[in-house]
Amino acid sequence: MSEKQLASTVQASAHQKEWFSQLRRDVFEKQMPYAIVQADMPFELFQAMGIPTVSNQWWAALISAKRLAPQCFDELNARGFHHGLCHYCSLPLACTLAGSSVEAPWGGLPKPALISARLTCDCIQRVFEIWAHALGTQFIPIENPGATELPPCWWELSRHQWEKLFEARRLDLTVDQFHVLIAALERIAGRRFELDALRQLMESVNRQEEYFDQARQLICSAPKAPVRMTEQITNVMAAQWLRGTEWAVEHAKRFRDEIRNRVEAGIAACPQEKLRLMWVGAGLWHDTDFYTSFEPTYGAVFVWSMYLAFGPDGYIRYGLSDPLRALASRVVSMNEQLHNPPWANEWIVDQAEKHRINGAIVLMPSGTPSAVSGTLFIERALEKAHIPVMTIEADVVDSRHWDGQLMRKKVAKFIEERLC
Amino acid sequence: MATDPIAQLGYLYQNPMSEALQASASGVPLVGITSNTVPWELIASAGMYPVMLRSDDCATSFADEFMEPQIFLPRIRSIFDQILSGRWPLRAVIIPRTSEQEYKLFLYVREVSRQYPEKHLPPVYLYDLPHSRSQDSRAYGLKVTFALKAQLEAIGGISIGADEIAASIVESNAARSAVRSLVALRRGKPRIDGCLALSLIGPFWSIPRKNYTELAWEAAAKLQAQATLNRPRILVKGVSMDQSTLHGVLESCGALVVSEDDWWGEGSAGQDISTAGDPVAACFEKYYSDSPGPRTFPASVADSWFEDRSRDGIDGVVFYLPQEDYVFGWDYPRQKNFLDALGIPNLLIRDDPRQLKTPELSRVQSWLEQLPKVVQS
Repeated sequence: MSEKQLASTVQASAHQKEWFSQLRRDVFEKQMPYAIVQADMPFELFQAMGIPTVSNQWWAALISAKRLAPQCFDELNARGFHHGLCHYCSLPLACTLAGSSVEAPWGGLPKPALISARLTCDCIQRVFEIWAHALGTQFIPIENPGATELPPCWWELSRHQWEKLFEARRLDLTVDQFHVLIAALERIAGRRFELDALRQLMESVNRQEEYFDQARQLICSAPKAPVRMTEQITNVMAAQWLRGTEWAVEHAKRFRDEIRNRVEAGIAACPQEKLRLMWVGAGLWHDTDFYTSFEPTYGAVFVWSMYLAFGPDGYIRYGLSDPLRALASRVVSMNEQLHNPPWANEWIVDQAEKHRINGAIVLMPSGTPSAVSGTLFIERALEKAHIPVMTIEADVVDSRHWDGQLMRKKVAKFIEERLC
Repeated sequence: MATDPIAQLGYLYQNPMSEALQASASGVPLVGITSNTVPWELIASAGMYPVMLRSDDCATSFADEFMEPQIFLPRIRSIFDQILSGRWPLRAVIIPRTSEQEYKLFLYVREVSRQYPEKHLPPVYLYDLPHSRSQDSRAYGLKVTFALKAQLEAIGGISIGADEIAASIVESNAARSAVRSLVALRRGKPRIDGCLALSLIGPFWSIPRKNYTELAWEAAAKLQAQATLNRPRILVKGVSMDQSTLHGVLESCGALVVSEDDWWGEGSAGQDISTAGDPVAACFEKYYSDSPGPRTFPASVADSWFEDRSRDGIDGVVFYLPQEDYVFGWDYPRQKNFLDALGIPNLLIRDDPRQLKTPELSRVQSWLEQLPKVVQS
């Protein structure tokens, strides 16, 4: 991402880099433990125990942004893993296996005290088990019970009626699994887990997401988008990986305030905005400039991705008398909410309407087969809501088969033919 | 239908819905199932007919419309179409959480049903059986198995007694024993080839187990007199196959497929279900602990059968990882290393066996030619 319009974006990027440097110092110099986890894990448990976490997806995005993915996957394939395996979740594993033949970003990951993932797709247990072996660490799997009741408009129920929405049996199992994880964290941290500390953290997460909700409302209602999608992602994810911490809450507030000031001052991210686009799917980490490519010619601005919107809709939980259960409800359905019918298609249409979206680009993530599901339902639902859709096939982390120029031409054609 | 048990089983393998449709015509409700991990015994004890939905060669127009291309396995696409087309008079479909693709199949069918109520699709139910080995998963699996029983009672409109389940377990165990008698014909000095074995074992999933037991024992008795087959003994490993196409290709090249780490072949029956204690809990135990599937975790548990079998009279292993695979490819290097360490030759096939081209066939042929020709005792 070349241009940063918001001061908070600069701060978020700098903070992430400093946070990671500090993590490396703490691990190497003070032998402090840290963990690597999947993005849909309960980061709050680690936070409450003072154990820093690195998100597998964040690290993958960073490797991809440094254009190191092709080398890493070449190394993976050379070890007998075929080309059709999922890329997004396995890029950090590939980087580990590549060892010194690839210079990992920011000095690389030190050895974690544990790695952990929810068993959503059938691959992740395999990726993490192989990775744990390569890193010489332990893998704590968290079972992922399936949803059977999926009532309409989950985002209207998830804040207050989460107990009913996410099915008691699923919450029971997830809480049981949390206790296993907590026991491991207690061993690593050398101290006891405190429920009150988690409750306070959960309250802070709510505050953080409320700020993001307000930021989202501003984007929805402003005549022109005050912040580009790419800057939304940088700000939001820097805070989400550290959610509930003092810095994260403050940063969410800072981000909200800066957007509000821009709206009040009539500042638009793209003053010539004519069309509002949404990006459905994970970010295209190896070519984030793609998202601003259509502003000069068409005034077409990407204003929405799941990253900002999912914070308030997916994370806020009111009624924290049992914070572990509330936390279980936060993570147990992320896959259904973001990737599967009926929840993903319903939510995305709702978001498109609220954000006054003119057209949607729906990613068919070719390098991540397990994340492809639901895209045809999403496409049909958007078209039914009179929002034109273009589906593009791309690998979000591996640029080997990405022709940026060609794809820009295709999107330009879509804009000309269906949006202008 | 022919009277010869081998021909009868062969016919039922090729026409897996034939008996089910007859039963349905006589008023027995059909319940479709999609994997080996749905307790046949619970459905049967509810007075319904459990029938495995197998892939077929029909067009998949519904899958083309709703399922993303090149992601779902042909078997899942075919099942999706069979459910949506209303081809079979199914009272319900039970889909287990045995693979991510099946979970998505459940969500997709459910969503089409919601969006298009005029299609009057059969209700689909998720049997949310976990497969990781932990106390929590075990407790959860037991709970959802009791919930499945209650669900079946609601579907069938009857109460299922412990005696009925126990009787179904006895019936099912007899069929498992019959499958094992067929499997025995493939061990040691094999007397049947892989294609025949699949056609004899396959109907275990689609006909009443009482009938299956009789036919399978008769077939086994008849085949016991067959001469032994001296060809390289192959184990097939990888993505589960409900068709015998790959076996046919390998055997036409001179191999003898004697095993597959797969619930369609040697792994169909497994061990008996315990007849002691609570019968629902016994069913759960069987499907949780003794049923192969892609979500079994950890790998040491998932690999144990394969490793034991590979050491037991196998001359070579063929890994089948089709282009759609994005799961078993993670296991391949580890399992290949295991075989290499034992000196067991192995071959990877990635192309659809229905469309193997000459160079690929030549590669298979050359590999087979290097294997031992005579079965060692």
